Amino acid sequence: MATLAIQAHRPLRSTSKNVRPSKRTSTRVRSAKSPTTGLGSCHGGAFLSDAEKAYLEKVASMIGTPGKGITACDEGPGTIGDRFAAVGIENTEENRRSYRQILFESPGCEQYLSAAILDPETLYQKSTNSGDLFPKVLSDRGIVPGVKPHLKVYALPGQDGATVMQGLDSLAPRLAEYKAAGCEFAKWRSPLEIDVSAGQPSDLIIQANMRDLARYALICQAEGLVPIVEPDISLKGDHDLETAVRVNVKVQSELFKAMLDHGVYMEGAVLKSNIVNPGKACKTKYTVDEIAVANLAVFRRCFPTAIVTANFLSGGQSLEDASARLNAINKHKTAKDPWNLSFSWSAALQMPLFQLCKGKDGLQLEAMSELYLKELAIASAAARGEHVPGAGEGDHAIA
Amino acid sequence: PAHDPTPPLATANPHRTTYRTTMACFKSTYADELVATAAAMSVPGKGVLAADESTGTIGKRFDGIGVENVEENRRAYRELLFTTDGFEKYCSGVIMFEETLFQSCKDGTAFVDLLKSKGIIPGIKVDKGVVPLPGNTRGETTTSGLDGLGERCAKYYAQGARFAKWRAVLTIGDALPSAQCLDDNARCLARYAAICQQNGLVPIVEPEILTDGAHGIDKCAEVTERVLSCVFAHLMTHGVMLEGMILKPNMVTPGSQSSQGGSSASREEVAAATVTALRRTCPAAVPGVLFLSGGQSEEDATAHLDAMNKGDQQGRKNPWTLSFSYGRALQTSCLKAWLGKESNVAAAQAALLRVSEANSKASLGQC
Repeated sequence: MATLAIQAHRPLRSTSKNVRPSKRTSTRVRSAKSPTTGLGSCHGGAFLSDAEKAYLEKVASMIGTPGKGITACDEGPGTIGDRFAAVGIENTEENRRSYRQILFESPGCEQYLSAAILDPETLYQKSTNSGDLFPKVLSDRGIVPGVKPHLKVYALPGQDGATVMQGLDSLAPRLAEYKAAGCEFAKWRSPLEIDVSAGQPSDLIIQANMRDLARYALICQAEGLVPIVEPDISLKGDHDLETAVRVNVKVQSELFKAMLDHGVYMEGAVLKSNIVNPGKACKTKYTVDEIAVANLAVFRRCFPTAIVTANFLSGGQSLEDASARLNAINKHKTAKDPWNLSFSWSAALQMPLFQLCKGKDGLQLEAMSELYLKELAIASAAARGEHVPGAGEGDHAIA
Repeated sequence: PAHDPTPPLATANPHRTTYRTTMACFKSTYADELVATAAAMSVPGKGVLAADESTGTIGKRFDGIGVENVEENRRAYRELLFTTDGFEKYCSGVIMFEETLFQSCKDGTAFVDLLKSKGIIPGIKVDKGVVPLPGNTRGETTTSGLDGLGERCAKYYAQGARFAKWRAVLTIGDALPSAQCLDDNARCLARYAAICQQNGLVPIVEPEILTDGAHGIDKCAEVTERVLSCVFAHLMTHGVMLEGMILKPNMVTPGSQSSQGGSSASREEVAAATVTALRRTCPAAVPGVLFLSGGQSEEDATAHLDAMNKGDQQGRKNPWTLSFSYGRALQTSCLKAWLGKESNVAAAQAALLRVSEANSKASLGQC
């Protein structure tokens, strides 16, 4: 695949930290000479030029390349440290660097990967194969590089521990830096938990989180980055699939309405949502097909056709379950489901790799790389509805 | 008919409910029938005839052709429409005014029975027209008719109607539509839709944004997206089952008094702006989007629909049918040919058939 020629273009925004973004108003006066086709120049994306919109749309569609998905490698040094510690690996910068290197450079991984989400630290690390910075390594392979800006969780007072994510205030200049470092997209994750008896997620928690996601998306686009919006409803709980469907519809409807109200250019945004599942402790059995149908049902009720791809997170599901479910979702797709439906996986892909290091001395990079490619092949097949899962994989069995 | 508050699907297996009903957060006894009716109204190649002009409005049409606005003429005109041979090839349903729903052909055949025998679904306008919004200084309106709507729906269902229509009217202007206008109209549409579904009628949800004004197509797109977004939010709050409703929106066009001219935005531009607005706001679960013609000429209404269905350069598919629910854009030539004369009936029917066929082709992108 050709390198991302877009990278060679002049950045859309100034790359200097100290320059404010140029003033944009939502009611831009167009000169009499400029063509007024009216397409996207109002409401959604009104603050963007046609060229900026075309760029965002192009990146979004590259992320949504059918049959490919996202490798999510954006754990901060602390979180990746936990994964290392569990298998006796020392949490050094070099270990983090060399580990990410196989996630980006395993030979042939680019056939399965449309994009990669990086932690900011990784943006400035280099490959020992080419000496290039990792964003360039990725885009040279046709894998769109993106970043997860650091966010801090905060328990909203009076909400039984339910949280919002903090990080909007300093976001624009940070995104400008990441853009200058070669990123084409960013990701923001808003975790939510279902607790039916506590009335969570409450209307307020949903509103607060979805509005933050919408504003984040707007800021991304103003800085020339495609926003991946990630409303992550946890598997935790004993709620049934019907409840999960209702909550997911409610949360996602709120998200997309907030995005529209904020003037986000929908065609230049990407969704990363949880697979709709019954709670982990739910006492009702469901087949993988019932789960798949529920997922399509949610999307049909609220996911705008204008957003071209949804890349599901794994959120604690095993690779087997996540792949079986993604596969079933794609098998059940009809003409009512025009979106690309694929993966954006971290734990599902990476946890088995760490298992290879258990009891061994240090990172087992070669073995990890080999297994990684096998996993990606499965994920890619699931994204095409061509995976053949083992019996019972993807079903919700009673614990 | 009295309906059991516990829908049969839920009791069949308490641990399992099909997603068609659970998705709705709303369980209607009529769920299956609503979905089937809405699907039938969304068949590509067919559309709906809006023949629901109130007595006053049909009077205006009759004035234009010198016909007296009396009940017999209204009955005879609708009989002309419904007895058009072959009309059923292009028409999935007809929206009627209350008077018409209870009328019959000269030979005594009830209109509803005639339509059903041709496979055309009878529908009924249930709103009671626009009224000024209290305290609104800009002349904005809301639509009335919610009181007693449930009982009326049940009566219409018993008569044979299987879908209903409610028209909200909004205007573009400086700071218009206002939040009051938008909120109230969207709310009424949602409550109307929920009441209909409870009583077995597929609701056609019609938030019409008038073309009045000097605004460009951009402004219309912005307002249309804002209106549709608000309407669907209210529909969700009221638990309306999207699979069992039809959306009847305006197309996205420049204002009728804009410097770009009433219809001088190209057909492709209108088509693209309209489809973009829907892709951003209309959930895939809605089976059909049947446009109002809103005063467009027959030719424009057909050409715009055709352009939408010819698709875009990226070859993207839409998850809903894009078709027509036209009133004037189906009837203008027919009325002109009829002139109220029995001897002109064949010519008038031929005109209706011709225009219907053109719109049928347009809904397939085959003009």
